[in-house]
Amino acid sequence: MLKTRKTLLSLTLVICFMATVVLAGCGGPQAEQTGGKTLVFSQGADPRGLDPAFVDDGESANIIVNIYEGLVKYKDSNTEIEPCLAESWTSSADGKEWTFKLRKNVKFHDGTPFNAEAVKYSIDRQLPPKRTDDMPYASFTFGPVKEVKVVDDHTVKIILNEPYAPFLANMAMCLAAPIVSKAAVEKYGADFIKHPVGTGPFKFVKWDMGQQVVLEANKDYWGEKPKVDKVVYKFVKENSVRASELMTGSTDIMNGVDPNDVKTLEAKGMKVVKNPGMNINYMGFYCNRAPFNNPKVRQALSMAINRENLVKFLYQGLAELPNGPLPKFMPGYDASLTPYPYDPEGAKKLLAEAGVKNLSFEFITYSNPRPYNPVGGEKLAAAIQADLLKIGVKTTIKAYPWKEYKDALAKEEGDAFFYGWIGDNGDPDNFLSLLDTKEIKTTLNSAFYSNPKVDTLLAQGRAELDPAKRAKIYSELQKIVVKDAPWVFLSHSLDMAAYSPKVQGYALHPTGVSFLKTVDKQ
Amino acid sequence: MLKYIIKRLLFVFPVLLGVSIMVFLVMHLFTTDPAAIMLGQHATAEQIAALRQSLGLNDPLYLQYWRFLSGIFHGDLGRSLMTKTPVIQELLARFPATFELAIASVCLASLVGVTVGVIAAVKQNSFFDYLSMVGALMGVSMPIFWLGLILIVIFSVTLNLLPVSGRIDIGMEPTMITGSYLLDSLFTGNIPALVSSLKHLALPAIALASYSTAIIARMTRSTMLEVVRQDYIRTARSKGLAEKVVIIKHALRNALIPIITVIGLEIGTLLGGAVLTETVFSWPGVGSLVVNGILASDYPLVQGTILVIATIFVVVNLVVDLLYAYLDPRIHHS
Repeated sequence: MLKTRKTLLSLTLVICFMATVVLAGCGGPQAEQTGGKTLVFSQGADPRGLDPAFVDDGESANIIVNIYEGLVKYKDSNTEIEPCLAESWTSSADGKEWTFKLRKNVKFHDGTPFNAEAVKYSIDRQLPPKRTDDMPYASFTFGPVKEVKVVDDHTVKIILNEPYAPFLANMAMCLAAPIVSKAAVEKYGADFIKHPVGTGPFKFVKWDMGQQVVLEANKDYWGEKPKVDKVVYKFVKENSVRASELMTGSTDIMNGVDPNDVKTLEAKGMKVVKNPGMNINYMGFYCNRAPFNNPKVRQALSMAINRENLVKFLYQGLAELPNGPLPKFMPGYDASLTPYPYDPEGAKKLLAEAGVKNLSFEFITYSNPRPYNPVGGEKLAAAIQADLLKIGVKTTIKAYPWKEYKDALAKEEGDAFFYGWIGDNGDPDNFLSLLDTKEIKTTLNSAFYSNPKVDTLLAQGRAELDPAKRAKIYSELQKIVVKDAPWVFLSHSLDMAAYSPKVQGYALHPTGVSFLKTVDKQ
Repeated sequence: MLKYIIKRLLFVFPVLLGVSIMVFLVMHLFTTDPAAIMLGQHATAEQIAALRQSLGLNDPLYLQYWRFLSGIFHGDLGRSLMTKTPVIQELLARFPATFELAIASVCLASLVGVTVGVIAAVKQNSFFDYLSMVGALMGVSMPIFWLGLILIVIFSVTLNLLPVSGRIDIGMEPTMITGSYLLDSLFTGNIPALVSSLKHLALPAIALASYSTAIIARMTRSTMLEVVRQDYIRTARSKGLAEKVVIIKHALRNALIPIITVIGLEIGTLLGGAVLTETVFSWPGVGSLVVNGILASDYPLVQGTILVIATIFVVVNLVVDLLYAYLDPRIHHS
């Protein structure tokens, strides 16, 4: 009896084990996909929506750039502008009228033609009176626009309120600027956010909430045809789980790589892209009151902070050392800028010259990680606190969650603060205008930095359409800012993505999105 | 019995009302302003104020709560602020995934928990007893998040036996009937889809079942230990019944009432969305929906979802109580 029972038990166990093995052998993550090449891209979350007028998150932008296109676009490796749906453009002598000649024989995914009417419709819906309060980028992108005129079927004129050179960069933005199908917006109404129709290299197929968005190659695409037949955006919240997916082959490309996973991924033969991101991480001084209304005190503290060590140890080398406010790949970047070097003795001397003794002050910071500071504000503040102590400057740190932190900044709490900026349109004005006197009241210029010369140069830069002349203006401006030291330029955080060795032609764009038209898979 | 049912039903409404008030207040008082999140880094104070106005967030809290409550009575849970989709539609899209995971976990937990508990009780103080109770202690105290990651490292990355995350291999989704991939692939006779969804279900179900299994095993063991010491068990044994019959027919059947209660409560909890498990395994269920909603301060989404979860929990509890009362008549008499 006992023997029979034991035999039965063993038999059951063997059957269970075999069933597991058989199940494990069937299909599997590497199962062959039917219907051509499918590229799987894992990102951390669903897009908020797929209508470029209503979203401002990176997850949406990453998908939108493959469905829609704008009149102009960024070059592959920087944020300079090149033609896209517009073949060419001119601006009037006063810089207020921009005329775009549109590409012919381009169709939206729903078969309707792309023309000047479509451009007018796409912009008009984001201008008053049609603009609604929940269009996050409408006033930023189209704020300078007075009206859009259809000249003929393939020519459109955009009239601005005043000359504004960054306007062209605005028209290349991944959000707000892309041109949408009028017929589709009218057909789907509020649901267009889930039924995107553009002119891009990939067409929308379906969105399974919380799971995936599926796109297919647009066979009628006007440009170079996509190399894969299908793209699946898979939503995997945890960074390390996304990395596991990549290593097991169920994902081809992932973004948002956790710095702790880089070594493991590389050891498994995955390729990790580390790009300087379109951001700046800085420490700001309140320049409108003592002790930091004295430039010498700001300069001294800039010299007391070991920025190289911050990048090397705090950010584990996954950040770049800035020489000013702008990242390398942006127009207006000036390689010749020399920020204050790390020199604690020099810093002490400067403080003595400024007549400041026993300096002690309060930092305010944010408690959560930010894209430009993945370790969070408290760790950064603590590292800088230790540096400052070496020159005898004592500091206290007050940290807040992000929302409360922004309120504390608006109330000018503390004496110095930690902040950062994520670029929007790749134009230098987008970063440098944070130091404009007129941005003090909008709280964007949290440092209360005010220099009439800088304000004049910013205005000149906005009105100047010649890129070479603009670069000169911004070079002069940045030299003043670096010398005045309203900020300590701490780091440009790297954007990271990883991909399987089976993938070819993949690049992470400096704006943080991935254009998949040129990507192929073995 | 009817009086008891009515009495219990009457308790449901104040509980749900309390939940709705609490969720509403927590969301409105302790989270970031959704208008600020929606408008991003460029938003000026005026723009945020204008959006708050058009979303109705500047109205007094009691008015906003009344709108929420009257919406519920009209079967309308509102629209998500972020995706602009009706909350009920979002919930319906996510519920089958949660249902599938919860049921799989409960089945696994009940099967393993009851078996282990019974054997541990019968072989009290044996090696198996100690081992299983140490295992149960680990199951209760091990963070699900960590267990999930460990399972992924062992079974997916190292052994390459099971998929890392998601519900099914890409492109293998069965024709949608119920939304549950397991059921849909069975109904449509799609065997590859069935195998793929079973494989995807394995790790999340094990991770999610770990806690419940431990609780059920402990409960079964202690109840069984009490029952086997009862006089009628001694009588059954002295009648010469086989030990198997004594344990299964006499002891287990009587020990089952508290065990069923625990299992019922676990079903309620698991159906409410296993937030951590769904997050680790990217399981597109109600739990991950709530997490996303909280992160984006999506008031209508979180309020609606929590209310539905609470309703499910209360209803399951009610059913368990009624079942309990039915199985043990002493309860409603007292």
